Amino acid sequence: MTNEEKIKKELLERFGFSTEQIRVARERRVFLEVPHEQFRRVFEHAVNGMDFQHLCTITGLDDGDTLAFVYHLARLDGAVLSLKTRVPKASPVLRTISDLFPGGMIYERELADLLGARVEGLPEGNRYPLPEGWPDGQHPLRKDWKAEMLDGVYPKEEVKSHG
Amino acid sequence: MAWSLFNLLIFPGFLFLFVFGLAMEFVDRKLYARLQNRIGPPWFQPFADFVKLAAKEDIIPEEADSVMFRLMPAFALASVVTAFFYIPLWSTQSLFSFNGDLIVVIYLLTIPTLTFFLAGWHSTSLFSMIGATRTLTQLFAYEVPLFMAILAPALLAGTWSLSEMTVFYDQHPAYAAFNIIGLIVSLIALQGKLERVPFDIPEAETEIVGGTFTEYSGRFLAMFRIAIDIEAVVGASLIAAVFLPFGLGLGAAWGFVFYLVKVLAVIALLALLRTVLARLRIEQMVIFCWRIVAPAALFQLLINLILSGVLRP
Amino acid sequence: MANFKIPIGPQHPALKEPESFTITLNGETIIEMDMRLGYNHRGIEKACEERSYIQAMYLVERVCGICSHSHSTCFIQAVEEIAGLAIPARAQYIRTIIAELERIHSHLLWLGVAGHEIGFDTLLMYSWRDREVVMDTLAALTGNRVNYGINTIGGVRRDISKEHLAGLLKTMDILEERTKYYIEVASEEITLIQRLSGVGFISHEDTVMLGAVGPTARASGVDRDIRRDDPYLAYKDIEFQVITDTHNDVYGRTLVRVGELMQCYSMIRQLVAKIPEGPVTVKAPRKIPAGEAFSRYEAPRGEDVHYVKANGTDKAERVKIRAPTLANLQSVARMMENNRLADVPIIIAAIDPCFSCTDRMIRINDTAGRRKETISWQALRTHSLEWYRKQGVDFKDLNAKMRQRMKA
Repeated sequence: MTNEEKIKKELLERFGFSTEQIRVARERRVFLEVPHEQFRRVFEHAVNGMDFQHLCTITGLDDGDTLAFVYHLARLDGAVLSLKTRVPKASPVLRTISDLFPGGMIYERELADLLGARVEGLPEGNRYPLPEGWPDGQHPLRKDWKAEMLDGVYPKEEVKSHG
Repeated sequence: MAWSLFNLLIFPGFLFLFVFGLAMEFVDRKLYARLQNRIGPPWFQPFADFVKLAAKEDIIPEEADSVMFRLMPAFALASVVTAFFYIPLWSTQSLFSFNGDLIVVIYLLTIPTLTFFLAGWHSTSLFSMIGATRTLTQLFAYEVPLFMAILAPALLAGTWSLSEMTVFYDQHPAYAAFNIIGLIVSLIALQGKLERVPFDIPEAETEIVGGTFTEYSGRFLAMFRIAIDIEAVVGASLIAAVFLPFGLGLGAAWGFVFYLVKVLAVIALLALLRTVLARLRIEQMVIFCWRIVAPAALFQLLINLILSGVLRP
Repeated sequence: MANFKIPIGPQHPALKEPESFTITLNGETIIEMDMRLGYNHRGIEKACEERSYIQAMYLVERVCGICSHSHSTCFIQAVEEIAGLAIPARAQYIRTIIAELERIHSHLLWLGVAGHEIGFDTLLMYSWRDREVVMDTLAALTGNRVNYGINTIGGVRRDISKEHLAGLLKTMDILEERTKYYIEVASEEITLIQRLSGVGFISHEDTVMLGAVGPTARASGVDRDIRRDDPYLAYKDIEFQVITDTHNDVYGRTLVRVGELMQCYSMIRQLVAKIPEGPVTVKAPRKIPAGEAFSRYEAPRGEDVHYVKANGTDKAERVKIRAPTLANLQSVARMMENNRLADVPIIIAAIDPCFSCTDRMIRINDTAGRRKETISWQALRTHSLEWYRKQGVDFKDLNAKMRQRMKA
């Protein structure tokens, strides 16, 4: 049995996922979609129980009514498990994973700035990557965001007087 | 009176030093470039840089102490030029001389470093102040070894006058060989005094932007630059006079050629030093000076103390 | 002495790109560091959603000026995976050769920058002179010194001729000799070792926990290299060693990079020996079927990852880029602890930061209400010629003179 099938089997047996939820895209690439309630449990098991000890990044997707977040976890043998979970766009609340991956904080800040996710438990810190004074409620990576939405809002007048 | 004025302003005074300083800066830059596989600047580059800087606007920060900020470059320049008059160059006689001028010259050469400190401190910029603190820290590290290294030959000669010292070594050229440790120590200290790699800690641009000179621009910066160039020449001349007393009795023309060769050799050594080394950290520099350079200078002092008893009963 | 804060950046001589580090100092000792990123965001991820795949590829290539091939290859790997394209073997080899040349160029560049940060400009001048050899080779093979533009969806745009391959071997000999010299310098030059060893220490555990990648991680004994662990391009066909080190400091990071240079030369020799004959490209569809792919690539600075989601049109639904520097920056704060101000530049430089890679997103157009006008290339050229003529410089004249000179 190949590595990918082992990963698939373990996840199927342990959490009782249906085979549609889990997809082996190619050698060393496994994609899995998890309901938000179950996400933390699966994530913790992948990290601590299955040795996926490296968080490559977190991708945020705007899927219309929902925001999807893909956590790309890698293992030393090269296998990558992409865990996807969804939250409604109206209340995009996530729990932080920075307790497991302190380095993941910056990826969560990026989600907060660019997609408007609210990450619970994320320590205070500088925002990333948008500048100070960026208008609230504008999240550039959302599909309905247009650059014109900044007209007259940003940059503010006083910024210009510095020049 | 007219002759003194000529001496002060033209030769071997300010004008000569100005040209000589710029020429030596060119030699240093060209050598540095060639050692790094670069082409290097044309001969007039230091002068062009000076003219360009002098033509630029002077900006004095609002927060800075304006009087000190303006005065310091002039102080630096004046003190190095003054020091030059007491150093015998191509004969055993310097322009002015008295017993104890050796100490005065060393002190006059300390003044530029102090002006760097004050200039940085009164700029009140964060980077300048860090640079100023480093300047002073560094001064304490190299100044004592330099003092000891230069006093040792004087001890052997039994005089505190530079001119009389050169007379002594001119009569006993072989004795200069005893001072070789002192020569090395003072070369290292001079490099520190000129704040060049590996001792360019006070103005390390990748750390503290421009250090003490961060806020300086225009004429004031040009004045500092020329003061440093002249300081290099004066320092090299001092080392030449104290440690390399050769060819002094051959008349003015040959003496002058010898003098040029000696200064060039010192400048070349300093350029080589900054090519092959990386910048030290301030605490590494202090440790290096107190653990290695200062004991070496002390050792030199000890040798000369014993020698003066043996050779000059 | 009381604690005080010193700003390194956004504009600072040690940083070649704008990022802001605020460092709290006690005397010369660093107490803590605060980081502010994002000055370089250009909206590339968003812009990719509005461009066709081939346009996006060129845009992605411009994420970074140094590891441009890394980003474009990583991106099209994902696109090709979704489209189900099998790339000809020769194209894979050519991409790998360029990738390794890029690594050589990047590591030599780093060596020079590191030298400059510790006030050792001679090292900068030497290594950048040698870097020119690689740059010239890259220009000969691809036509460009940076942003090589050799990739295309379905293969590469240019073949490499036999003569070029032979020339490549000669270049490797020259560079190998030079690198041996640098290894000698790194192991013998006292001030260099004094300035590098023990500086920017980070333990193996912290490196793993903070998710560092590439040479930064490998210098702390993390044996991780995408080229070996998750092979792509032609890396499974060749043999190489993953260089690791256990110094855990800046000196270790230097040794890893110099060691990797030596590996690069041997890899390129193997690639040149093994490169198969055949076509260099397959036809790629304009529209990419719906799907998603996650692609990893060992860039000179570490693991570069791209995620692409396609929706069946000729434009991507989402492109996510995570450059290696973003992963490495997290560990910089840890490396700074208990070091000295003098070490700040070299610690930052030691992760080989590439901030323009890290930042990619912000405003696309200027909205401050300034005059906006589109000038065609030709009009711009005419305008500039006219402007210079008014200043008394006539380029027509100059061109004619130049031609005369050339003849004479």
